[in-house]
Amino acid sequence: MDEQRLRESFARVAAYGDDVPLFFYSHLFLGHPELRGMFPVSMAGQRDRLLNALGRISADVSNHDALVPFLRGLGRDHRKFGTLAEHYPAVGASLLATLAHFNGTAWNEDVARDWTEAYTVIAQVMTEAAGEDEKQNPPWWGATVIGRERRTMDVAVLRVAPDLPLSYVPGQSVAVECEARPRQWRFYSMANAPRRDGTIDFHVRVIDGGAVSSALARSVGVGARLRLGPPVGTLRLDMSSRRGVVLAAGSTGLAPLKAIIEQAAGLGDPPRTHLVFGVRTAADLYDLVALEKMAAQWQWLTVTPAVSDEPEYRGETGTVADVIGRRVPLSDQDAYICGSSAMVAATANRLKSLGMPQSHIYVEDFGWSDS
Amino acid sequence: MTRANSEPLTPERVRLATFSSSRLGRRGLDEAEVRAFCEFVSDGLGRLLNDNNMLQEEVHRLRGRLLEGKGNPGVQPEDAHVQAVYVLSKAQQTADRYVADAQEYSRELAEDAHLRRDEILREAKVRASMILEEAHASASRAASAVPDTRDPLPGSERQELQAEIAYLRTFSDVCRTHLRAYLESLTRSIEEWERAEHSGALTARDSVSRSSQHVLCLNGRPGTIDRVSSTPAIDRRVQASPSASAAALAQTRDAP
Repeated sequence: MDEQRLRESFARVAAYGDDVPLFFYSHLFLGHPELRGMFPVSMAGQRDRLLNALGRISADVSNHDALVPFLRGLGRDHRKFGTLAEHYPAVGASLLATLAHFNGTAWNEDVARDWTEAYTVIAQVMTEAAGEDEKQNPPWWGATVIGRERRTMDVAVLRVAPDLPLSYVPGQSVAVECEARPRQWRFYSMANAPRRDGTIDFHVRVIDGGAVSSALARSVGVGARLRLGPPVGTLRLDMSSRRGVVLAAGSTGLAPLKAIIEQAAGLGDPPRTHLVFGVRTAADLYDLVALEKMAAQWQWLTVTPAVSDEPEYRGETGTVADVIGRRVPLSDQDAYICGSSAMVAATANRLKSLGMPQSHIYVEDFGWSDS
Repeated sequence: MTRANSEPLTPERVRLATFSSSRLGRRGLDEAEVRAFCEFVSDGLGRLLNDNNMLQEEVHRLRGRLLEGKGNPGVQPEDAHVQAVYVLSKAQQTADRYVADAQEYSRELAEDAHLRRDEILREAKVRASMILEEAHASASRAASAVPDTRDPLPGSERQELQAEIAYLRTFSDVCRTHLRAYLESLTRSIEEWERAEHSGALTARDSVSRSSQHVLCLNGRPGTIDRVSSTPAIDRRVQASPSASAAALAQTRDAP
C-alpha cells in the first residue's frame, strides 16, 4: 500500500466537500435500500461525521498508534446503530465507487488497490473491536423512564432504569436515543454515582430548535423507552491527587460534577470540594435544593450558586469564572469544568490566568453554545 | 397502349408509353396533349420515388443508430447508475433542507418565546415586590394600631403577639385580594388565548401551540411564600425566582 498515493487521492476527493459523502450514501442506499432505516431522515450531520472520519483515517494512515484506537472506538460505537459485520463489504464497495467517481481520470488500478487494502484493514479493526465488545456488552442498553421532573422552563431531570446493568465512572456520559426521535443520538452525562438499583439521572436542558432535547424534556413521559449507548468521556475524578477540588458547572454541566461529588462522598477521606453552579437567573438554579442538602450533610463540600444575568440576585452575581476568582482559594487545587463551550473556555482561561497549572484543569465541553 | 403490368411503374415507362392510332372513322385524342400529360405524370412520379428512397434511407439510418446504442454494454448502465445516485442525492438534500428549515423555524419561535418570557418575568418581579410592599405597609399600620390593653397576663408579649396577628392577617388579606384579582384576569387572558388559537390559522398550528406552551407553562417551581415573618423581609425565593405565580401576575397586565 502506497500511503502517499492514498493520501493524495483522498485530497483530490476531499476538495469536493459535502458532495463526497452525499454521493457515498446515495450509492450505498441504492445498492442496499435496507440500510437506509439505520440513519436519520436528515443526513447533514451524518455526512460531516463521515468526511471527518475519512479525513482522520487518511491523515493518520501511517500513524498506527493513533489510528487503531480511533478505529476500535468507531467499531464499538457503531454497534449501537445496529451495524453488523456483514454491512462492511457493502460500505467498502460504495466507498471505492465514490473515490473512483471523484478521482476521475486520476483513478487507476494502483490507487484502487491501495484503497481496497486500506479499507480491508479498517473493516477488520472495527469488526474485531465490535466482536470483542459483544462478548461483554449489549449493542445498546434499553432503558425505561421512571421519573421526569420539569425543574424550570428549560430543564427537566429524567430518571431512567436500564434493563441491564450499565457500569460507568462518575463524570462519563452516554449517547441517548428516544422513540420520538429515532436514529438521533445525543450525549448526556450521568448525574449520579452508580446506585445499587442501577437507576440513572439525566439533566436535560432544552436547546432552542434542538429536536432531541425538546423531546426528552417535554414529550418523553414516565414509561417511555430509551436506548443508551456505551459510556464515554474522560472527565473523571483524579483519585491519585491529594489536592482540593474545585467544580465549575455551567447550567446542566452540573450533571457529571454532581456524580463526582457523590463519588467523593463514598471515599474514606473526601477531598475538600467547592462547587460553583453558574446559571443566568436564579430561576435557573434547577438543582439547588439537592445541592444545599448535600452541602449541609457533608462538611467537606461547599456550594456557591453564581447568577450572571440578574444583578438584583442576593447571592454571588457574575459568571462562574468571576465567582471562582472572587470566592474560591485556588492554590493546591484541581479544577473540573463542565458546561457550554464558551463557559468552559472562559473558566479554564481564568483559572490559568490566576495561576492554576494546565495539568490541574479537567474539562468536559458539552458542545452547546450559550444563547 | 402496350400492356406489361408485371413491370413496375417508372417515370420512364410513363414517358415512353406508346399508343396505337385510332381506327379510321373514329375520333382520337390529340397526340401532343397526351404526350405532354405523360411527361407531367412521369416527372411527378420520379419526385415521389426519390422522396421515398430518401425516407427509407433515413429510417434505416435511425434504426441502425438505435441498435448501435443498445448493442454497447458497460457504458450506458453505469451512466444510469450515476444518474440514479444524483437523483437520490438531490432528494436527500431536499429532505435535509426541509428538516433544517423546520429546526430553524422552531429555534426562532423558541428564542422569541424566551425573550417574551424574560420580559414577562421582569415585569412580574416588579409587580410582585409592589404587592408585597403594599401588603407590608398595610400590615404594619394594622399592627401599630393594636391598642395597648391592660392585660394582667404577660403584657408586652401579648401585645406583640396581637400586633403580629394583625400584621399577618392584614398581610394575607392584601395578598389574597391581589392574587384573586390577578387570577381572574389571568383566566380571562387564557380564555382569550384559547379563542384566538381555535380561530387561528391552521398553518403552523403545532408551532404556535408549542410557543404558547412555553409562555403559559405554569408547572415550574411554584414561587410560594413559605413563611411570612413579622420582619418584612421579602422571601428570597419570591424575589429571586418568580416562576409560576409571578408569571401569572405579569400575564394580567396584558389582560383586557
